[in-house]
Amino acid sequence: MMDVINNFLIPFLDLKLLSLVALGTFAGIYIGAIPGLSVTMAVSILISFTFSWDVLPAISLMIGIYMGGVYGGSRTAILLNIPGAPSAIATALDGFPMAQRGEAGEAIGITTVMSFFGGLVGIIVLAAAAPSVSAFAIRFQPRDYMLLAVLGILLVGSLSGDSLVKGVFAGAMGLMIGSIGLDPLTMDQRFTFGSTAMMGGISFIAVMIGMFGVSEALIQLHSMKTPGVKQVINRIVPSFGTIRKYLPLSLQSSAIGVIIGALPGTGGDIAALMAYDHAKRVTKNPEVPFGKGAREGLVAPETANNAAVGGAFIPMMTLGIPGDSVTAIMIGALFIHGLHPGPMLMVEQPHMFWFIVGCLTLANVFMLIFGLTGIKIFVKVVEMPRTVLIPLILLLSIVGAYAVNNSLTDVYWMLGFGVLGYFMRLYGYSLGPVILGVILSRLLDDNWRRAIISDQESLPRLMHGIVTSPLSLTLFLAVIFIFVSKTPLWAMIKRGRA
Amino acid sequence: MQSKTPRRPGELVFNLFVIAASLFLFYSAYGIAGFDALSSAGAIPMMTTALMALCGVLILRENLRKSPNTAEKIERDILPIPVIVTIIAITAYALLLKPLGFIPTSFLFLLGLMKLFSGRSWVFSVAAAAGSVALIYVIFRLIFTVLMPQGVVPESEILAAIGHLFGGAK
Repeated sequence: MMDVINNFLIPFLDLKLLSLVALGTFAGIYIGAIPGLSVTMAVSILISFTFSWDVLPAISLMIGIYMGGVYGGSRTAILLNIPGAPSAIATALDGFPMAQRGEAGEAIGITTVMSFFGGLVGIIVLAAAAPSVSAFAIRFQPRDYMLLAVLGILLVGSLSGDSLVKGVFAGAMGLMIGSIGLDPLTMDQRFTFGSTAMMGGISFIAVMIGMFGVSEALIQLHSMKTPGVKQVINRIVPSFGTIRKYLPLSLQSSAIGVIIGALPGTGGDIAALMAYDHAKRVTKNPEVPFGKGAREGLVAPETANNAAVGGAFIPMMTLGIPGDSVTAIMIGALFIHGLHPGPMLMVEQPHMFWFIVGCLTLANVFMLIFGLTGIKIFVKVVEMPRTVLIPLILLLSIVGAYAVNNSLTDVYWMLGFGVLGYFMRLYGYSLGPVILGVILSRLLDDNWRRAIISDQESLPRLMHGIVTSPLSLTLFLAVIFIFVSKTPLWAMIKRGRA
Repeated sequence: MQSKTPRRPGELVFNLFVIAASLFLFYSAYGIAGFDALSSAGAIPMMTTALMALCGVLILRENLRKSPNTAEKIERDILPIPVIVTIIAITAYALLLKPLGFIPTSFLFLLGLMKLFSGRSWVFSVAAAAGSVALIYVIFRLIFTVLMPQGVVPESEILAAIGHLFGGAK
């Protein structure tokens, strides 16, 4: 127990780590809040600069960026009606009407305090649940991991884009990219085309920055001349009465956030929309109607999306399965720092888990402090012209891609994936499954081979194993359900019921 | 029956490229170990590339059902000049980074794009580019100690001279 407390307190007691969490949270809030700069982009670019660092300072900064970025997306949703992140889409529905009524400060204040509550609940559940989930996960068979990986990619593919087929394509492409290089088991060359430079595979960072940094910046070039919107900021810190009034809804939304966040493939965006829907159903007589500036419409999604952060860390830390594209990037970064998220992490390096929980808690506190202060500077940053901002993002992307291996090849890969990602975005392909695919490629490949070898290369034996194990069968049925739910047959069944 | 969302300019070409690339990659995956065994090094690559090709065909079928979007133009809505210029600028940056070094290449990159995009005066663009490079240099090179090519600017000598200046004052 003392070990747990000691490791939890490390970021609080070490001034350097404390400053890095603060810096990361600050940067995350501001970058996540700038329209066009998503939390995924912020995390992917900034994380690349930490790869030469020791593991503890790097994790401190990364977690700060993540926590701050998830919250920062709400700022522009309220002030400009442009969600800084998908998880802030629901926030804009009532946040922007509040700002139009001259209540932007109040909206930001409520958002900040409720995000803090949500974040705290998520962290408590993570600390309480992860050790048991991890202990349970040790009993998982290779086929279960294989099915979990497939399920994660499919869920992200089906929920984040406009078409399941495009989502599946993106996920398969990610798996293919992740398999490039020498096969670690047989040393066979895979997609290297005889090039020695490709034998080590393609840098995950180059793919990530290209897909999320460069492609997003190229998309932003279409709307460079969009004029900025100025808002008047009034009182920010909400009264105790306001907090007390919305606390029950905040706790309900936190529960939704944690549960949705903990499911592989579902993140803060879905949690926020579900919590918004829940708030609409349970609030009988809101002071202001939903969609016109209801405070409940702000409390529910903001609590849920921050609670989902702690929730998303549960499958990430205990199973090695990312919940969404941001946690996929976090897993990739942890791998580069020599950590292997999964059930064995809690057995071999429990101190790292408690250190991460400590960083999350600290970042949550800094989010509250930075969220309620410095609004005047913040408004100026948000109003920064895109004509200056986009070249800067591109330069940071290039430096980030180069810095990891000091290699220009990575810059070319970044550009290539940036252009590919740009066209994929234009034509309605979601990019989240690509990153998930790259991260899960090794896990899927290894566990497929373990599973099929243990079943003596026999598919019928593998299927028999799946249908006779309750866990494998549940996962398999979930995979099948995702496919069926996107077919015309399912639509017909639903229409028939209605 | 036609789908409600219209087909964007160039979507079919991109779709065909996707199918061709997937088939080529499938052929390459087959070359890893053929149909040797389900646990071979080529099994997952073959499955994923076959899935890519299959999805590509399904997307093509969907695209062919859509009516073309006549309101959009490829040169305005898909590949506008700023996008093409930016792609060229990144390529030029990568080519010039080693010989010129981080500071001059970054300055030229930012100056060119900021001047082009903002259309504001040279004084504004030079100041914005120089200020941005200085900020990035201080944060990433000096604080985060990210190593970037030195090129024609004798950075280490300048930094040593500055260090000596402050060290000498003690």
